[in-house]
Amino acid sequence: MTKIQLANLQYLYKRDDWEGPHPLDTHHIVIQWNSARIFLVHLFALLLFINAIYLCLLNGTLGTIFLLSMLSSACLVKSYYGTLIEKESVVIIPSLGVQLKAHYWSGRVVRSFIPIDKILKPVLNENVTPFTCYWSLVLLVCGKKELILAFKVVKPPVKLLVPSGRHCVVLLIVEKPQIPAEDK
Amino acid sequence: MGDSKRHRILMVSDFFYPNFGGVENHIYLLSQCLLKLGHKVVVMTHAYGNRSGVRYMTGGLKVYYVPWKPFLLQNTLPTFYGTLPIIRTILIREQISLVHGHQAFSTLCHEALMHARTMGYKVVFTDHSLYGFADVGSIHMNKVLQFTLADVSQAICVSHTSKENTVLRSGLPPEKVYVIPNAVDTAMFKPAAERPSGNEITIVVISRLVYRKGADLLVEVIPEVCRMYPNVRFIVGGDGPKRVRLEEMREKHSLQDRVEMLGAVPHAQVRSVLISGHIFLNSSLTEAFCIAILEAASCGLLTVSTRVGGVPEVLPDDMIVLAEPDPTDMVQAIKKAISILPMIDPQDMHNRMKKLYDWHDVAKRTEIVYDRALKCSNQSLLERLSRYLACGAWAGKLFCLVMIIDFLLWRLLQLWKPAEDIEVVPDIVLSLDEDRGMSQDFQAFNEDHSLR
Repeated sequence: MTKIQLANLQYLYKRDDWEGPHPLDTHHIVIQWNSARIFLVHLFALLLFINAIYLCLLNGTLGTIFLLSMLSSACLVKSYYGTLIEKESVVIIPSLGVQLKAHYWSGRVVRSFIPIDKILKPVLNENVTPFTCYWSLVLLVCGKKELILAFKVVKPPVKLLVPSGRHCVVLLIVEKPQIPAEDK
Repeated sequence: MGDSKRHRILMVSDFFYPNFGGVENHIYLLSQCLLKLGHKVVVMTHAYGNRSGVRYMTGGLKVYYVPWKPFLLQNTLPTFYGTLPIIRTILIREQISLVHGHQAFSTLCHEALMHARTMGYKVVFTDHSLYGFADVGSIHMNKVLQFTLADVSQAICVSHTSKENTVLRSGLPPEKVYVIPNAVDTAMFKPAAERPSGNEITIVVISRLVYRKGADLLVEVIPEVCRMYPNVRFIVGGDGPKRVRLEEMREKHSLQDRVEMLGAVPHAQVRSVLISGHIFLNSSLTEAFCIAILEAASCGLLTVSTRVGGVPEVLPDDMIVLAEPDPTDMVQAIKKAISILPMIDPQDMHNRMKKLYDWHDVAKRTEIVYDRALKCSNQSLLERLSRYLACGAWAGKLFCLVMIIDFLLWRLLQLWKPAEDIEVVPDIVLSLDEDRGMSQDFQAFNEDHSLR
């Protein structure tokens, strides 16, 4: 069952709570369609294309410049969509672990799985850059020096991160299966 | 806290932990005492190596290590407007009511005070050092100080000499400058249970071995004292470019068994070095205050010091022997100190220091300065520009231009990233504290559920 729970101008938080024999708890942060940025990219590609046509008309030939411009415009748009993230998800699989997913506009999905026995704790972390501060949900993972970001690209407000973080805590800390001593 | 309002203070300086020094210690200890008084304190400094981001220190003191790399003598690269976005973000998210900058030599402090004034916050500045008037560096530094202090709400100096120096350098009205001396942690600096016994008298020197700390004077004084008094030995703690000169002096006069060089002494071990001596020697050529002699007196040592800057204001006359910064005069002062040493009671000296200097008292006095700063009237940009114009024929116009551009950039930032989009950080309260007024969601999330 999908519920749209929280949103702001830039991001949308959704939760999919599947019950039954194999319950999954999925939390999505969806990037709202940034029309201004997409418009600028398409405008730039169009200007490049128009410039190429103008040069060709000027020279009177349909030459390499036109083909190269077509190619670079297409590459620009493709690379933009290729790197553009549509949404990032955290799938909490009880007793097994957490899967982190990044969905791109091109259809590509990048997944990574962290087993439950490796996760020490999920934490809301404050990050500081030279120009701003923002919150992120991170996982403290056994054996790793660096924090693992649950949402690598999106930087939503903390009120959108708290629900997914709280469910991580409940399912990973409170309901964490106790591993017998001889299996450790 | 009584009737005083709870302040939310942002301390800004390039000098903070993990660096050790007078300014760093002052900011840390003052912040801890202000936290105990119930105020909220956040510190902002530049990143130190890998130490970047948000850290929490004792008492819940939050520190922002902003990833701006230092470029000269631990100072952030001055960009004028580069730090405006991050300072604005921190001021809004922490709901700061007042900005307190430390040290005239800190570029981050100057920029933070400038941006804070542009955004309408009240600012307080503390000057920790004395500066000259004649050399090129001092002239430029004083001009920058004039710019920053032209519009400051209140200023604090650590001694009356420092106040005089700051007022002359910056042109600030004296009634805006408060004198609040530094203090010493007397709980940490206690005399030894038993004073070092025997015929030997130990003179301790702990300072950075640099020119302005009078290391060259030590090179002249130590051999002369060793010649006059066969039962005197020296312990020299500290490091710096002048260490080589002291090592050479030791070799030249064959004083290896009478002059012990310890090298850099971590602050946590300073007390153990002090209590191994009877007399503390300070040979600084300039000092606004000198916390080192406070620490020595708190450990029960008789102090011999150069009569420079604010040093004469620090200790009572029976705890210190002053001398001119001249080798002959210093030797005479050490001679006098040795003669009055049997009359010194270390425990009595420590008890007197406890009553004279206390960081909680410094915090209460600073709180009064904050109250007065917040009562200052709000002024528009045009009213504030007139103060900058008074800074000089050309400098005044330049300063006005800088402030106008800062104001325009601030307005642009308000359009690009409105204050409503910057999330306010809930206050982190320690579990022992009764006031748990923070957001339940946030607090409940970051606590360890498995320990309940």
